[in-house]
Amino acid sequence: MIRELLQYFYSSQWGEGLRESLYVYPLVEGVHLLSLSISFGFIALIDLRLLNILFRSVPIAVLLPQLRLWMLSGFAVTFVTGFLLTMAEGPMLLDIFVFPLKMLAIFIAAINALWFEYSYGRHINTWSARPSYPFGVKLSGAISLFTWTSVIILGRLIPYLDGVH
Amino acid sequence: MLKDVFDVVQNSHIAYVIGQLNNIWGIFAQFFHIAGLILVLLSVVLVSLRLLGFGLLAQSAVQLAYLTRSWILVGLIFLAASGLFMLIPSASLYYPNPALWFKFSALAVALVVQFGLSRYVLKQEHPRKLYAVSYALISLTLWFVVGLAGRAIGFMAA
Repeated sequence: MIRELLQYFYSSQWGEGLRESLYVYPLVEGVHLLSLSISFGFIALIDLRLLNILFRSVPIAVLLPQLRLWMLSGFAVTFVTGFLLTMAEGPMLLDIFVFPLKMLAIFIAAINALWFEYSYGRHINTWSARPSYPFGVKLSGAISLFTWTSVIILGRLIPYLDGVH
Repeated sequence: MLKDVFDVVQNSHIAYVIGQLNNIWGIFAQFFHIAGLILVLLSVVLVSLRLLGFGLLAQSAVQLAYLTRSWILVGLIFLAASGLFMLIPSASLYYPNPALWFKFSALAVALVVQFGLSRYVLKQEHPRKLYAVSYALISLTLWFVVGLAGRAIGFMAA
């Protein structure tokens, strides 16, 4: 099912055009790397605050709303460019074992973010001013930091393992 | 002249030693390069956004610049060390690559802006709006160009 979908995108005019473009493909790849770097930087900042390592004097209820829009905008650009790159690469990506792992790490990171929002984000003001945050909050921060670091590492490994099945 | 320097670097003992290393070290160098890029970009984006009136409004731009100063330095060390590690074994091959020279030029200007111009703009707690906005936009543009040019090096060489 996924393989067929990737094949469809790969064979499409967009997939072919992107793959064969001398300038657009490198540009999309560059933007993907930069937007991922920035959104990862923002999310790492928030995670390190949840873990009480950075910005200890600023409550997370203040920090999070100020960074959320920029972080989500960065991720939106990352996902769009990532989708375009996947279109250009096609079903061969599934044969590189780190690609499914990268997708799994993104899935875990997304579930973790939803769990954080559902369990703690909705009543952030009740615990944000405490000197030490609840265990679940710290755990969520640690999972987020680990999964997004994994996403970057696994993503960077893809070109190296291309052809090593 | 410069070409000779690149040839000497590529034919040096250290280039030979790096060239003989397992590929895994090259991958590690790439990770350090990305880590450096993240540290530098995050610092630049945080301070620039604050100067533009967005982002971490709880701190002033001066406070953010002070707080992120060490991130930039560590990021630049990571970038330089890993960049040299990747460049040295193939210096002569990289020499004719226009993206490399474009990146170096943009990097030089970005560093001048980062460590020179910032002294004037971030000297006061509330810098003049025109200076603050101009500095933020120039700084953001330059570092993004450095990043894109760095990525272009691999494509130009391919």
